[in-house]
Amino acid sequence: MRRAIIREQQARGRKAVAVLPVHYPKPLLTAMDILAVELWGPPGPPRGPDAGRLQAYVCAVARNALAFLAAGHADVVDGVLFPHTCDSIQGLATLAPDFGGWGKPCFRYIQPKGEERPSSRAFVRAELESLAAELAVLTGKSLETAALRRALELHTEIDRLRAALLDGRARLAMTDRELYGLLRRGEFLWPEDHLQELKAATGRLAAEGSAPVQTDLPIMITGYVPEPMTLFDHLRAAGAYVAADDYAGIGRRVLRVPVGEDDVVSERSERSARPEAPPRPRPVSDPFVALVRQSFEAPPCSTRSANQDRRLEYLVGLYRRSRCAGLVVHVPKFCEPELFDVPAIRARFAAEGVPLLYLEGELEADLSAQAQTRIDAFCEMVAAQRRRGGRAAGGTRGGATGGTRSGATGGEA
Amino acid sequence: MITRRVQYELIARAAGPLLMTINRWQGDLKRAVRRVTGRGPARKAAPFGPPLESTRKLKDLMTMHYLTGRYADGAVPVAWVTSGFPVEILRPSGFFTVYPENHGAVCAVRRMVPELSEAVEKQGYSRDLCAYARCDLGSVVTGKTPAGRLPRPDLLACCTNICQTVLYWYRALAEHFKVPLVLVDTPFVYGEAKPHHLQYVRDQLHELRTVAERVSGNHVAPEELEEILKVSLAGTRLWDACLKTGRTKPSPWTGFDSFIHLAPIVSMRGTEECNAYYRILLDELQDRARRGVPGIANERVRLLWDNLPIWFNLRELATLLAEHGFNFVCTTYTNAWAEAGGLIDPADPEGSATRAYIHVILNRDLPNKLRTMKRMCTEYDVQGAILHSDRSCKPYSIGQIDLKDRLAQELGIKALILEACHADQRAYASEQGEMRIRAFMESFDQATPS
Ligand code: SF4
Ligand code: SF4
Repeated sequence: MRRAIIREQQARGRKAVAVLPVHYPKPLLTAMDILAVELWGPPGPPRGPDAGRLQAYVCAVARNALAFLAAGHADVVDGVLFPHTCDSIQGLATLAPDFGGWGKPCFRYIQPKGEERPSSRAFVRAELESLAAELAVLTGKSLETAALRRALELHTEIDRLRAALLDGRARLAMTDRELYGLLRRGEFLWPEDHLQELKAATGRLAAEGSAPVQTDLPIMITGYVPEPMTLFDHLRAAGAYVAADDYAGIGRRVLRVPVGEDDVVSERSERSARPEAPPRPRPVSDPFVALVRQSFEAPPCSTRSANQDRRLEYLVGLYRRSRCAGLVVHVPKFCEPELFDVPAIRARFAAEGVPLLYLEGELEADLSAQAQTRIDAFCEMVAAQRRRGGRAAGGTRGGATGGTRSGATGGEA
Repeated sequence: MITRRVQYELIARAAGPLLMTINRWQGDLKRAVRRVTGRGPARKAAPFGPPLESTRKLKDLMTMHYLTGRYADGAVPVAWVTSGFPVEILRPSGFFTVYPENHGAVCAVRRMVPELSEAVEKQGYSRDLCAYARCDLGSVVTGKTPAGRLPRPDLLACCTNICQTVLYWYRALAEHFKVPLVLVDTPFVYGEAKPHHLQYVRDQLHELRTVAERVSGNHVAPEELEEILKVSLAGTRLWDACLKTGRTKPSPWTGFDSFIHLAPIVSMRGTEECNAYYRILLDELQDRARRGVPGIANERVRLLWDNLPIWFNLRELATLLAEHGFNFVCTTYTNAWAEAGGLIDPADPEGSATRAYIHVILNRDLPNKLRTMKRMCTEYDVQGAILHSDRSCKPYSIGQIDLKDRLAQELGIKALILEACHADQRAYASEQGEMRIRAFMESFDQATPS
């Protein structure tokens, strides 16, 4: 299906670029008439022998991507973009193009790590301009400011709808599998087409204030990429649904801040503390300023080495707002950025009395029988806690910032 | 504060050196008694050449370093620093520096890593994370360290030119100690560093100077920084000269020795003590090279080592190889501290430090690593290579499978990939490793019967 979509876009005169996870300036690509086709592995067993060029202790995302590229499965695209996500993708970004596996144009986008600083702000802008200049060589036309402005507005609208679907999850008449399927189509559809699908889906949202459509156990999930997607089937069979999402590939890429250019840092921090504030598009005279801001204002992500306190506050806030009853931490094996945050997440949610399930995977086609059993046990534990009247952080009525524990104790399945 | 300072100065200037002298006398005395009486622990006929005299001085130097460290917090500003951090910028502000990676190596040599790691594995840290990070965090939460005590940091200084891991690790330290974390984020260099990448690092070095002055309370004059850079450059050159003695045949030392003697250039770069030590070491190595005193008794096959050492198995591995006449005469790891530091130019502190610290081997692409390895193979005239595939260190290990093939194809170098971990012995199957090394050594004899 992806191949057909890519060809169709190319027939319209667009270029297609495969993009490795996670964060990249998508509006810039859209503005330059480039279709981004994301490459999260792909899941399942490696599709080619070249995975063996990376040691077995490197994550499946990097190994599968190398196998996929080297076996020629991505030859339909015109180039590859490697965002500077982690040591493994950084290594892959030299291994494949320099030592074999990828012969077409190759782009890298380096995102600064750590906290926002004057140096990193200036750097992001220069890096964006540099990427735009390199992509212009691929497309044969340079970036137009008006096109970038339009692309920013388009993606702001996409984010607004994605946020509406995720935040209104309890009122949305879709299964997790359907919702994630829809959101993940954004990984390869032309953004305007994705927008139409999102608009159609918002029609399935019950009115605000109406009774929840979802009556299963609401749980929050944090992780990297929702693979295998059968996870959602197992959760559903066990009586749970995802009421709050913090996957790096999904919720952590939904920008919830307006596009503007003159905000001072203090205003910005205030807004980050209120991530529920809906995006309000505002006029932008220099769209690069907006792009720079977006790169710092996305929800805190392990791969950006976000401040851990801020990330924990964000997660707890999301959990409470979504009135969740348990937390699933679902990370890829050998993923350093995600694994380093796990102890803090565990400790923080344990202190909140939240039941927690830790799942580690390697992009398998389906969950192992053991993982399925653990999901069942976890959901039973969450249900039992609810029956006992235990109200963990999500059960409190205190809203995003209020709410206290009511004596319930969490546990790990 | 004053009492701490007095204690610190006393240890650094009087008690410490006195202790070292007494230790040395005791050592000399024991050796003399053994010589005269012929008694003492029976020494196995080692496959090595005469031991390096400098090693005792190194031991004194590092013992003094850790000893003074015990009294540093509260007396002088203390920074915990990553190995690739532009430490020269911190030195003029009077920071005492602790290198958790060096401390991790000491823990690994003493085989303490599993115990320390388990303390944080209980908190949810995965065993798949870098063993240095696990070991250090474990040492912090348990308070256990072979160094007696590590001083509490006032500042955590982290540079991503070796890996991203250090940032996650130092963030956890910052959370634990509740002290500022200063970051020098170095864009990875694919081909040539782009001008705005250099500018970014340069801007951060500028920000770093401000933070260092704020945390230490010491204002630094430009000449002071220049002076430190001169010392650092001289230290790097001395270290480079030491390593280059390995080009002599037979090499006057082994790559395993160089791992041990690396400690000062990592932990004390930019200090006179560091340089004084390397002058002594260089004199000895040059003298041995002149006189043909070898690192191993019968050097037959010269090898290159890639990646960190397997600290907990250093002696066993060195012995196994030396017994068969195999000697590591160069390593990419020790070379890393000789190479990029040479770009330092005291006349252009921030500009040259930017170039030096962005261009370290781990922050550059694989073609650069291959070029470096090929150059070393040629200059040191090696016939084989062992590439330690370190499950704890992905940035260093990614690409090794291709590098091995290319060394074979382009230079005819026989290479072995040895899977292990630099610090956690639980991740190394020693018997299997030994068998693979034996088979590797045999392959040389089959090709060129001696
Ligand atoms: S899963 Fe983790 S380690 Fe692997 S590519 Fe993604 S961020 Fe990097
Ligand atoms: S051993 Fe590797 S991963 Fe660990 S701190 Fe050093 S460079 Fe980073």
